[in-house]
Amino acid sequence: MTSHAFAALAHIQILVLPVGPIPRTAFEKYAAEIRTFDSIRLGDIPTGMKDERARFMPNPLSSGHLYLSYPSHPAPPRHLPLSLFRPSHFTLGIIGIAACSSSYSLASALEQFENTVLDISPEGSTFPLAKVCFAFEEEECVGNAGLGDTLPGIISIPSVMGNKKLYLGTLLADLCSQILAELGRVYQVLENPVGNEYLNSALFPTLPSPSEMPLSLSSGILGFPSYSSQPELDSSGLAAPNIPIKRSSTSGPIISHTTSLTQRHSTLGPPAAKKRASAVGAVSSHGRLYKVLGDFFLLAGRTEEAMLWYAEAIVLFKTGQDPVWHASALEGMATVFVLDAWSVGQGLQSSVSNNGMKEPWADIYEQLSQAIALYHKAPVHSELSQDYSLLALTYCTVVMRQTSLLFCVWSTKGWGALAFASMLQPGSTSYMQKATSDRSWTNMERLSIVSGVSRSHIANTVSQAHGPWLLHLGPHERLTILQSMASIYSCLGYRRKEAFILREVISCIMDLIVCGREENDLLRKSDIGSANIGSHSENGDEVNMAGKGAVGMRQNEILEGNQSILKLLICSCKVLGVDLEAVGVAKAADGISTEVGRGDSNSSSMEDLEGLVDAAKESFGWPELQVGVIREAIAVAEALPDPLAVARISLSALRTMHSVLASSDQYHLYQTAGRALAVMRRRGDAPAVEYWAGHPIMSLALLPLALHRLPIENLCSILTATPSATNSLLSGITDPFLYNPRKLSGPQSKNLIVQGEPIELTITLRNPYVFDLEIQSISLSTTGVEFECSPVSTLVIPPNTLYPITVVGTAKTRGTLVFRGCIVQAAWGAAKEFLLPVPTDADQNLFARHQSAVKCESGRTKHWGLDSRPWEKDGRRLSTLLPSFKKPPQFLQCVVVPEQPLLRIRWTSLTHGAVMLYNGEESSIRLTLENISALPIDFLRLSFEDSTIGPAQEALSEGELSVFETYETEYDLLHRQALSWRNDKEITKILPNQKVVLSVTCLGKVGCAHGTIHISYSQVNREHEEQAPAAEVFYTRQLSYPVTVTVYHMLECHDLSLVPMVDVDYDIGHRASNSMTQILPEVDDPAEWCLFAVDVRNTYGLPFEVTFEREQAGTESAAVSSTVPPGSMSRIMLPVKKFRLSDDQISQPIPTLSDRQFVVGKSRLSIEEEQAQRELFWYREELLKIISARWKETNGDRHGDLSLRQQRLTLPMLKALRTDVVRVDLTLVTDNQDDGSPEELDYGGGKYIARPNEMLYLRVEVANSTLSPLVMALDLIVDPAEQVLSEGGLSNVVIGKLESEESRDVEVPLYFLCTGRFEIGAEVRILGAPKDSRAGASRVCISVREDG
Amino acid sequence: MSHHLFLLSPSDTPIYSLTHYSTKLPQPTSSSLSSNLPTWSTSAFAGTLTALSGASNATQSHHVQGGSVRMGGGQDRHVIQMIANASLDVIEDVMRKESAMYLKSVDKFNEWTVSAFITPGNMKFILLHETKNDDGIRSFFHDVWELYLKFHTAHSPIRSIVFDTRVRASAKKYL
Repeated sequence: MTSHAFAALAHIQILVLPVGPIPRTAFEKYAAEIRTFDSIRLGDIPTGMKDERARFMPNPLSSGHLYLSYPSHPAPPRHLPLSLFRPSHFTLGIIGIAACSSSYSLASALEQFENTVLDISPEGSTFPLAKVCFAFEEEECVGNAGLGDTLPGIISIPSVMGNKKLYLGTLLADLCSQILAELGRVYQVLENPVGNEYLNSALFPTLPSPSEMPLSLSSGILGFPSYSSQPELDSSGLAAPNIPIKRSSTSGPIISHTTSLTQRHSTLGPPAAKKRASAVGAVSSHGRLYKVLGDFFLLAGRTEEAMLWYAEAIVLFKTGQDPVWHASALEGMATVFVLDAWSVGQGLQSSVSNNGMKEPWADIYEQLSQAIALYHKAPVHSELSQDYSLLALTYCTVVMRQTSLLFCVWSTKGWGALAFASMLQPGSTSYMQKATSDRSWTNMERLSIVSGVSRSHIANTVSQAHGPWLLHLGPHERLTILQSMASIYSCLGYRRKEAFILREVISCIMDLIVCGREENDLLRKSDIGSANIGSHSENGDEVNMAGKGAVGMRQNEILEGNQSILKLLICSCKVLGVDLEAVGVAKAADGISTEVGRGDSNSSSMEDLEGLVDAAKESFGWPELQVGVIREAIAVAEALPDPLAVARISLSALRTMHSVLASSDQYHLYQTAGRALAVMRRRGDAPAVEYWAGHPIMSLALLPLALHRLPIENLCSILTATPSATNSLLSGITDPFLYNPRKLSGPQSKNLIVQGEPIELTITLRNPYVFDLEIQSISLSTTGVEFECSPVSTLVIPPNTLYPITVVGTAKTRGTLVFRGCIVQAAWGAAKEFLLPVPTDADQNLFARHQSAVKCESGRTKHWGLDSRPWEKDGRRLSTLLPSFKKPPQFLQCVVVPEQPLLRIRWTSLTHGAVMLYNGEESSIRLTLENISALPIDFLRLSFEDSTIGPAQEALSEGELSVFETYETEYDLLHRQALSWRNDKEITKILPNQKVVLSVTCLGKVGCAHGTIHISYSQVNREHEEQAPAAEVFYTRQLSYPVTVTVYHMLECHDLSLVPMVDVDYDIGHRASNSMTQILPEVDDPAEWCLFAVDVRNTYGLPFEVTFEREQAGTESAAVSSTVPPGSMSRIMLPVKKFRLSDDQISQPIPTLSDRQFVVGKSRLSIEEEQAQRELFWYREELLKIISARWKETNGDRHGDLSLRQQRLTLPMLKALRTDVVRVDLTLVTDNQDDGSPEELDYGGGKYIARPNEMLYLRVEVANSTLSPLVMALDLIVDPAEQVLSEGGLSNVVIGKLESEESRDVEVPLYFLCTGRFEIGAEVRILGAPKDSRAGASRVCISVREDG
Repeated sequence: MSHHLFLLSPSDTPIYSLTHYSTKLPQPTSSSLSSNLPTWSTSAFAGTLTALSGASNATQSHHVQGGSVRMGGGQDRHVIQMIANASLDVIEDVMRKESAMYLKSVDKFNEWTVSAFITPGNMKFILLHETKNDDGIRSFFHDVWELYLKFHTAHSPIRSIVFDTRVRASAKKYL
């Protein structure tokens, strides 16, 4: 109705009405045809009237136009008082459109048309001035409709007519002619003195109905308003003009400047009328009359006259106090300017050059500003609210007119033909939309620069219309004004201002809905249960979102009204940074959204993940305002009522803004949403809201299986290979590579689960809100093999917490099982799948970089204002810097292995799993196993570990040990395991429910605190199943039985020594313990033997009997026993026959028991040292083979071995043990006093007894016991040397070359000078050999006594 | 007569706001259009429209016209904030074209005039006022800027009491 076209004042409004039973489409078609005529050339208007009605008829040759507009409604009755003030506001003509057929005759159409017109034209209205009904003939009833009977007031248009459009144009021109004629009649009434009085009677005067008009006025207007629509050319022509033409008037406006005016018969009327009016009604000024005249001329397209009369009126208004009419005249003038400019510039594509100082439109703008000021200041004397309302309307209209001027100039890039076109016919020019469709700032700014109108100028202009006076307006006008403002702001790109106005628009609409509903309720109180859905449409308010913020009104009942209001709401809230649509409506009612598209759900879930990253971003907007608009939005949605929207809005707010919402608001929103959804459910709607509560799943973890159920993957090759425990034991855990890429490449480690057995998963949920979050159900989302898991239902997460839950499920078949995430369904909502990828290192790296980038930018702003809204900002900010998560995510993955048998330990021989042993004791542990599954076991392996293995392996792998120590450690690991299984009878098969007994040997080893028996078992041969061909792996289960071991360390061996037998003092020997005496006699030749001695200490509280045994080739085995009391120490002695190992044997390197690669030795030993070390090693090994030690409880029968391996062999001991290369025997010989024959001296107690001062001979017998000849020298050392006289040198006595097994004697004379104890040592050196290579030595003690 | 000051971060979030009542008397509202307003509806939505159009303010002033100082009781804080927020449209438009920090009277809405001050860091100081007071407002803005630089903490709300008292003192001095 109120189009805010700039030139609306010049528009003749024609209403197009449907008449009778016409189909909607047909009506639309015909109406559209009519509406194509937006202007009619003045030359086309039929003229011919001669009386007062001809006053506004155009000149036959004039070139102007009549401008038509086709509103959809007539002006409301409340606007009637404006009928004289602003005739262009009303529908001046009415066209009825009827579809005539055989059943619907022209006459009935005419009758109905008349009735309709009566209905819509208000009581006492001057308008419409003319009406006509077009009866279009239907196709099928050609000939049936009576074309012949021409009724006045209805024109039938046959369907066969060719150029309908041309005909319609003619008919429209006729109608316009009628209207112009009627305008003349109205004016005639007004120019009467009485009419003028009426005109001046009020601010917005009306003409009384014709019946009330004084009869004296004129008989010519009695028929007014004329209801005959056929121009009665003949009859009207007869009426005599009652305005005398007085050309001599001097007070009239300047007429003479146009030549064309002189031809007009009507131009000279107004001055005459004025004169006459002033004569009759002297009180009233003629200002208003001239202004009306101007208006009429403007409508009639005669701008020169309109200009003249406006100017005239303004002159009068300036003196008189009539600001409202003054302003209106200014408006009219402004319109005339534009129309003139249009007619001048029409056809020129280029804009009128604006090389002047002022913009060409500045004058018009100035005039309108003046008008605005006048309207604004106009005093309203009457207390009639109607006056306020109409004044506010005119005020707002003029502001919109001014805005329209600026806006048209701006949007069409300056003052030019396009601007005029859009000012005249805003609807017909789509140019404006095109120009402003690009909302980029640069485009806007370009328009501003080109047109010379800044956007803020337009905005400031339009904002004048906004004020308290909006309340004066009727609801319809208010809406229209507000929507025009909103669309202006929208086109300017002023989104926030648009949002502001849109809030008002929504308020208006909602108010109407609520009030209308109340009225309805009053009307039909009897109606029960008026479901409110749809009832709002009875108000006929319909928001049309075709253009941004444009509000259109329709009379139709369309249910989309609610949705449009909500759309408007969402649009305005978005500007404030509130996304009311953050929670969507679930697509499928059954909630299987994940099935819709894997790709989609993947990407959306990945967005979720990125959302988590961006959560740290700063928020946008004004929290107080946001909370405010949300409250309002909920109120709107509740009032509609649209429970789904209520729920969506409140849940969206909770989702996006929970950080800024106060806790009371959060509660409120949550409850509101709950209520709304409950309402929906009550009505039978399925819950249709997406999951909203953020990302609820923090983590998803597979709880590890119990150890005895855990399957272990093994290569099938170990089934055939002999178990070689040595390697695994010795090599330990060392990986030869510091960085092993193969280890990292695979996913962390495969989770193995067993088919058909339940597993547990922990889901950690999060509730970021202040209320108890209710989750309706949670289920696992899996791919791969079938997984049976009952969903968890109705769960309440306490506020602000992390909440772990455990779910149990079973895999049904074997294969791979992938846990993608969880499907969560909040209370009253649809289910949503949340993916939980397992982040790889790269992901985490990227995540960290994202976070640091966000942190880095948090203090700075790259985008501001509306650009910094979260959804605008996304994707622009960081994605340019960083690669996004492109790889397909990896999820928690499990391998489901086939069903496995299950063993359990039924019984053990241990109490409390503990075993107590003495060091070296052996004990046996018996385990009874039972197969409690339905599957047979045909594979059983035992492995052991104990607490001594770890440290030893570590020491080995460190490689810091010497070769000797390495050997010892390895020997210990291999041959002295704490736990071992002597599988004398191999267990091959354990049938279901069968029991078997295992016996495990446990050796007491100092330092062993605990050990574990691992029993690996499996069913390897599955004939009945389709064994995967050439499966590389099979799965075992392991049963572990921990054993606590306590080992008492009770006997310690110290001070191993090996002494040459020759040094043994036999005196002591005789008095020694009995066992010694027993074994000593076997020592036939002391030089052949050495004495093995070791101290055994008992650190324990019980006595032990220790037995050392000797098993040596070439001798009888011997044993020495001794009871070692607690706390004391015994020395055990055992003679050992000397032996010599071959050179080949001792030159072998110390072996390594493992096949480890030998790392370069770290010891820097010389060759000799190394040789010595090897010698020591091999002799020690041999000694340990010969000697074995056992212990036994004195008072019990526990027994065990005593290890001598801790004992070290030293070089002197080695000398004692080893047979020398060269055997040296020393004997002291004296000449027999009787026969002078040599005689050996007395030997007793290990020494010779000699007398002093006697000649003695020392006989040295050297024997080469090797296989090769040797050249030797002898050194003799006598101690004390000064008391002994000897012949010849004692050192370097050359013996010469001795063949193998050859011996040679050397005699040296000696003379002891005094009594005492002497010692003589002999040393044989091999000449040519290294210095200290002593090949053989011997020693003899001499006791020199007087009595000897 | 009241003044409303808002310090807005580039993401349109207020980090400080102040309402200052000056002792100066406002000019009487001139238009008769805004007087004698009808109560045209009783629904809650009418209240929103009444508030947004500034009518509640106008009626208030109409009634208390004889009184001494209007304490702004009828001014809806939410509406004030809406106006301040909406004025950002014009401010952003103007600040892209002009390098001036002080934008005097960039926008007018209802009875309010909006002046703005833009710091180099893109913080916007917005003042809603009813009367013309260019120099006073300019000095006030400069004071606030100086204070803001002292108390500047990224884009988080300013909760310093010292800042508040000093801004109030400056407002008392200039407005």
